[in-house]
Amino acid sequence: MVIPPLRRKVWRDIRRLWGQALAIALVLGAGVATMILGNGAYGALSDTRARYYADHRFADIFADLTRAPLGLLEDIATLDGVLQAEARIVKLARPEIPGLAEPAALLLVSLPESGGLNRLYLREGRLPAPDAANEALVSQDFARVHRLRSGARMTVVMNGKRQDLEITGIALSPEFIYALGPGEMMPDPRRFGVAWLSRPALQAAYDLDGAFSNVVLRLAPGTPPARVIQSLDRLTLPYGGGGATGRDEQTSHAFLDAELGQLRAMVRVLPPVFLLVAAMLVHMTLSRLIALEREQIGLLKALGYGPTRIAAHYLEFVLAIALAGVVAGLAAGTWLGAGLAQLYARFFSFPFLDFGRDPQVYGLAAIVALVAAAGGALQSLRAVIALPPAIAMAPPAPPDYRKTASVAERLLPLRQTGRMVLRHLLRWPLRSVTSIFGVAMAVAILVASLWSFGSIERMIHVTFGLAEGADARITFATATPAAAVLDLRHLPGVMAAEPFRVLPARLSHGTRSKRLAIEGRSPTARLSRLLSPALRPMPVPEHGLILSEALAAALGVGRGDRVEVAFLQGRRAVVDLPVSGISLGYVGLGAAMDLDTLNRANGEGDLVSGANVALDAAETDAFLAAADAAPAIGFVTLTDLTVARFRATLAENITLMITVYVGLAAIIAVGVVYSFFRVSLSEQGRDLASLRVLGFTRAEVARIVMAELAAIVLLAQPLGWLLGHLIGRAMVAAFSSDLYRVPFVMGREVYATASLTVIAAALVSALAIRGRIDRLDLIAVLKTRE
Amino acid sequence: MGIDVAGRGIAITATGLTKVYRNGPVEVHALRGVDFTALRGEFVVVLGPSGSGKSTFLNILGGIDSASAGSVLFNGQDITRLDETGLTRYRRDHVGFVFQFYNLVPSLTALENVALVTEISANPMRPDEALDLVGLTARRDHFPAQLSGGEQQRVAIARAIAKRPELLFCDEPTGALDSATGIMVLEALTEANRATGATTLVITHNAAIREIADRTLRFADGRIVEDTANPCRKRADQVSW
Repeated sequence: MVIPPLRRKVWRDIRRLWGQALAIALVLGAGVATMILGNGAYGALSDTRARYYADHRFADIFADLTRAPLGLLEDIATLDGVLQAEARIVKLARPEIPGLAEPAALLLVSLPESGGLNRLYLREGRLPAPDAANEALVSQDFARVHRLRSGARMTVVMNGKRQDLEITGIALSPEFIYALGPGEMMPDPRRFGVAWLSRPALQAAYDLDGAFSNVVLRLAPGTPPARVIQSLDRLTLPYGGGGATGRDEQTSHAFLDAELGQLRAMVRVLPPVFLLVAAMLVHMTLSRLIALEREQIGLLKALGYGPTRIAAHYLEFVLAIALAGVVAGLAAGTWLGAGLAQLYARFFSFPFLDFGRDPQVYGLAAIVALVAAAGGALQSLRAVIALPPAIAMAPPAPPDYRKTASVAERLLPLRQTGRMVLRHLLRWPLRSVTSIFGVAMAVAILVASLWSFGSIERMIHVTFGLAEGADARITFATATPAAAVLDLRHLPGVMAAEPFRVLPARLSHGTRSKRLAIEGRSPTARLSRLLSPALRPMPVPEHGLILSEALAAALGVGRGDRVEVAFLQGRRAVVDLPVSGISLGYVGLGAAMDLDTLNRANGEGDLVSGANVALDAAETDAFLAAADAAPAIGFVTLTDLTVARFRATLAENITLMITVYVGLAAIIAVGVVYSFFRVSLSEQGRDLASLRVLGFTRAEVARIVMAELAAIVLLAQPLGWLLGHLIGRAMVAAFSSDLYRVPFVMGREVYATASLTVIAAALVSALAIRGRIDRLDLIAVLKTRE
Repeated sequence: MGIDVAGRGIAITATGLTKVYRNGPVEVHALRGVDFTALRGEFVVVLGPSGSGKSTFLNILGGIDSASAGSVLFNGQDITRLDETGLTRYRRDHVGFVFQFYNLVPSLTALENVALVTEISANPMRPDEALDLVGLTARRDHFPAQLSGGEQQRVAIARAIAKRPELLFCDEPTGALDSATGIMVLEALTEANRATGATTLVITHNAAIREIADRTLRFADGRIVEDTANPCRKRADQVSW
């Protein structure tokens, strides 16, 4: 086979310009990789979730109640739009795990009926026998951490009584893809798990014969959940219900949604940045190559090659490089995607999570990347087509610098070499500006990812340093007379105990409404405090409500507005309360009011849900043992454990994420700096060699190009900070949900670290090419025109 | 340092200068043991066909190429033994260059191109003084793109002499110019030679130029085959080609 000479030239050009070709391919590859990663992970998560939900009949509506007769289910099932209803028993119990001193919780759920909702995926073992009182399935992550296999036994305190359970198998449920324990900020499978028992077993343990405590519904497609929730609440009100939620408020589903939202945000920001920078590098490199090959282009035209044939040759050059980038990007994206899928597997319990190699995702990424590269080549290709052969054969006129003598020059005390630098930058403003933009994007990517460290520290400091001074939070199994708090003070190690009451309620303002737990606080509480956005402690008002910023925003209210509060327990009073203040809060939606006022409004008497306690650190173990033995205590959360888990989980995630972002930013910085340097050197090589002949030292000559580069890199910094700041703000907006609110903390150290990283990357690539300046051919410049 | 009969000191001396290029398996002898001495202020024209070794000779004397053997003495120092730093210093302090294609920095005006060199020299003229010597004061603020070839070359000459070099090396300074412009450039060169007293070596293909020189060397096959003194120099405008 004969290879056409122009095809050979493509390969030789790439070999000759391998550094620039590599820079373009890397940046483009990074764009492709982030596209595969983002779109792939998004697709994998949402498709897997959709399939899992469909195959396992994930419910649309969830409602807790105290106790309702099974007869009520019929009424619920016949509600308009309800396809299927299932009564369940859901209770929180305490597992006793040898070697685990910290408090743990096990959510007990009655097994779905055959053909029921939220069907389980049995990973191993068998289902408990339909009437077995002491058999259970446990959730996969909990089983894994505690090395529980089918056939193992476990003791669980159910309704105050210890019960020995045999584990018949390990299961997963679409209801607990993201399994968050009570009072926790991060999943911790060591201290929280789910167990499924037969209905009779739970009925017996919780005295719920012929009754249920939870109902789940599946709706006919297209039914708006809000209407059904309303009807359901009406039906369950007399039975301690009234707080039904749709999927959007179901913890597991909502966290997955938040993750999907973040992925979508990433896909919108990162790949376009890389593609833009790659297109810019293509433009820079190709326009220089064509300027150098004017004579060859003229010759080819003179020989009879058509303009489009020659343009196609250069396009081929660009596409060959782009193709290499695409291949590398596809490989890197696949590899990173597999890593991301593993990370997801740690947080999200799916029976299967295939980081699908969706050909559409791959095909789209490849096409978009090739189009971006071709787009970058467009202007140069048009120049090739337009170049008349006669002019192409004559040497180019010296570049005209008339318009570059600028005001800046008169203000700066520049030497001649300084003028060269400034004027060369101004002579090709588009290139200078796009290079500045490219480097700025590298800075921006870093700024936009590095701020999260400070943000997390702020969250921890504010939440656990300033607001929550308690060492532990005790939650009773059921609401208890206030006197029980006095008993808590007698537990070993407890130095102070302050009661709280948590009541489910629906807060409404106009058409907006949110379901949440209102916390009643003692006005004298010192351990746990409410903080204003300015971080000052806020007193609990006698009558009004304090809403968290997120809730106030969700309801569209401010201080002084009134909200309707419909309590979802007890007397179910509906009261109209003023908003007395807005508090700072990062996790969940929060509303607080005076404990006594709350109890009066609710009308169940002087009850508390639990207490915040201060502990003597030396007696923590004794306290936990005593709390474990106290039947009235439902569960205990230790602040230190919550913080440690929060920090460890995020640290791990963020370190991984930052490593990826630093890599991506370095690719951009090195790519842009290297390409800029090569093109600049190519344009000025002859001038610089002339200077060497005139007696300039190597260092003096290198300084000219380095100064130009330094100007680009330094000018890019403030722009990068600004862009990073804006991206960071957009990320905060994208991350903020009813679940989390991320504080935007952008310290000087973020800018400094981002800048130093990019400057270091620029220096490395500058030093790598410094040798080219040292090797300038002094003799050749004397004998040749450019 | 020796004194010649006319009472002028010796500027530069080459002895046994040899240059062998290795081009793959082929050895190219560019210079085959050239001996040469130039006096201070002497104007020497170097003639010879392409490939005769004259450019290599000039490049080694100018400190931008290395010799394979032999020595070049300048101010008592053998410049063939200098390292890169020493050669840069030598070019910076003592040598002026004029190239066939001018090699002006396109982003600097005429005056700034001259100032580029005066900024790094020990005892330079003022840049406008150098431009005045070549008759380009009026064009001082023009960029190379705004100047004709001849004007560019005269800026290059101003740039070369502004540092008051002892040696001025010109490789085909009129090669890219028509005769009328070439004459103006030659006038500028002879004037520069006269005003600065720099020993001037001019490579050319144009034999007519020898009439303006003190002395003419003819190169062939890597050797000086003819060394002729010219007792009655003509003015540049009297030369025709």
